[in-house]
Amino acid sequence: MRRALSMANIGVGVAGSYLGYALQRAFLGEAERERKLKATHTRAARRMADEMKALRGAAMKFGQTLSLQAGTLPDETLVELASLQMSAPPMHASLVRAQFKQSLGDEPEKIFKEFSPEPFAAASLGQVHKALTHQGDRVAVKIQYPGIQQSLANDFKMFRTLTKPAQASGHIPRTAIDEVEQQILAETDYRKEADNIEFFHQRLEPLGFIEVPRVLRKYSSDKVLTMSLMKGQHLDDWLARRPGQKVRNQLGERLFELFYFQLLQVEALHADPHWGNYLFTNDARISLVDFGCAKYMSRATLGYLRSGFLYPGSIHSPEFRRLLEKYYEEEGRELQPATRRALIRFAGNFYRKVYPPDAGRQMAFDFGDPQFLKDFLAASKELFRTKGVLSELIFMARAEMGMYQTLHRLKAKVRTSEIVRKYL
Amino acid sequence: MTTSRKSAARRRVGSDKVQAARKPSRSGRKTARPGKGATRAATKEAIRENIVKAALALFQTKGFDATTTKAIARKAGIAEGTVFNYFKSKDDIALHFFEQEVDQAMAAVRDNPRLRKAPLEEKLFALIHAQLEYLAPYERFIGAAMIHALKPSSPLGPFSHRAMELRHRYLRFVQELIDESLPQKDNAFGFLAPEVFWIYYMGALLYWLYDASEGKQNTLAFLDRSLNLGAAMLRQGKRYGR
Repeated sequence: MRRALSMANIGVGVAGSYLGYALQRAFLGEAERERKLKATHTRAARRMADEMKALRGAAMKFGQTLSLQAGTLPDETLVELASLQMSAPPMHASLVRAQFKQSLGDEPEKIFKEFSPEPFAAASLGQVHKALTHQGDRVAVKIQYPGIQQSLANDFKMFRTLTKPAQASGHIPRTAIDEVEQQILAETDYRKEADNIEFFHQRLEPLGFIEVPRVLRKYSSDKVLTMSLMKGQHLDDWLARRPGQKVRNQLGERLFELFYFQLLQVEALHADPHWGNYLFTNDARISLVDFGCAKYMSRATLGYLRSGFLYPGSIHSPEFRRLLEKYYEEEGRELQPATRRALIRFAGNFYRKVYPPDAGRQMAFDFGDPQFLKDFLAASKELFRTKGVLSELIFMARAEMGMYQTLHRLKAKVRTSEIVRKYL
Repeated sequence: MTTSRKSAARRRVGSDKVQAARKPSRSGRKTARPGKGATRAATKEAIRENIVKAALALFQTKGFDATTTKAIARKAGIAEGTVFNYFKSKDDIALHFFEQEVDQAMAAVRDNPRLRKAPLEEKLFALIHAQLEYLAPYERFIGAAMIHALKPSSPLGPFSHRAMELRHRYLRFVQELIDESLPQKDNAFGFLAPEVFWIYYMGALLYWLYDASEGKQNTLAFLDRSLNLGAAMLRQGKRYGR
């Protein structure tokens, strides 16, 4: 713990480190936790996992994508890491007021008719408060923890230093770090998120079962984001009501369709699969609430993804091999034989099973069987070991994994190939 | 806190910050009593505020050292002699400003009913933040005043009687806040806390002065994180208490 604390201080400026927030909290609670640990004799391994989860920083978000493949953590933890939130330290009401005033020029109690000093949810990098505007709109006001942007930038400096060996070996391409840093720093500007919300609000309309909030620009800035309050329950609460197989399938298919509709039609993805970002209603409607992390795909990437999805021929054919090579050429890299073998095994052991390409077969894949998640993780790990990480696909992979995790929890049966084919 | 100030504070409950900021100074308090001399007292208070405003504007633009009482009088539109009816020197004006700053910050904490149940770190945050908000328009002058205060003969200096009194009043208030959250009898470090807090406050002030981050974001984060840590350390002290 102490070593981690000093590690967090390497090359960190006055704003400190985002990781430091998490560590400070862990440190403050240490005495208490130690007592509990002694009392319950919790195993060290368990504690390690807790510690990792408590960090939740930039490195963790990154860690999910990359350590995913390193095989150092148990599978369940890896799956959980996929949907970890970049949570900030909690803010008391006085700090909330100060931060709000700093950003919007006046206190929340003056700008809104009513403003709840207690947050009702944690959000990426901040917390969310309920408010009522003078026009009578019920809104959610997301407020960012002060100085977080610089803290995250500091963390990335440290992270780049720490991962030098992995960069040199090619396991973590520098472009991958650039990609993650760029995406995560973008999350600290709530104006960008407001742009994302408006973009998806319009583009997801055709699906008909998705709700996206409305931004109130008047009450928003780079550190405060005010949007309409959304209806629905989080996955846990939704499942607690024991919905039947039919409605679980329906919700599962909708989530699945949402993913491929975004990827192939909208060409952009809501790429933060944290459970807090999805709300579900009894009639299987979906509300999306956090658009801090949106990945806009490039045309070229989509082009080769399209030709790879539901690939009809043999995955051992020269044509398929050529297709895989194109993936890497796009990033200026050469496909190594070991990576190629890993990709072919990925296609065979996972994608062929979950997405059978045969058009004649109408099949609903059962995501309730945990085997598919194991296959996915095993294949991902191998891809990492063979240096196959593609920067452009990091956030897509993260969203994809988050989706599988939710589908598994729903125990949904989904007509996978049929839905993908609709948008190919 | 004296009874009269307590009742004054009670009267101010619900009033906004601007009003709280106009809380009569120590010397002005006896004239604020309603009655015959009320109008005259109000006029006197208005002139006093006018002088302070003019002086601060000059301190901020011309610098503390370069500002003369003559210039202050001209800016306030009164005779130089009149200035001396209210203040002994420009140091006296500056001290008056700092007294107001401390008074309004303490009132901001006391007058907020929600803060009564808040944890110690939040109360202290609210106190310092109210001070910094008050000082913000005069940032340049604050830095100069801190340096000026280091001169042994300066009335702003730590050893002048009035400055010492102001500091004691401020630290007594901090002690009150600490005692509310952590009664002294089970807090071994409690008696030291206000002294440590004073050093911390000076550090925070310097941090704020030199904070180049947009909207002084880093100061907010610094205050939040360090006060959390400090309050946690005080709570730890409880274990070693009797």
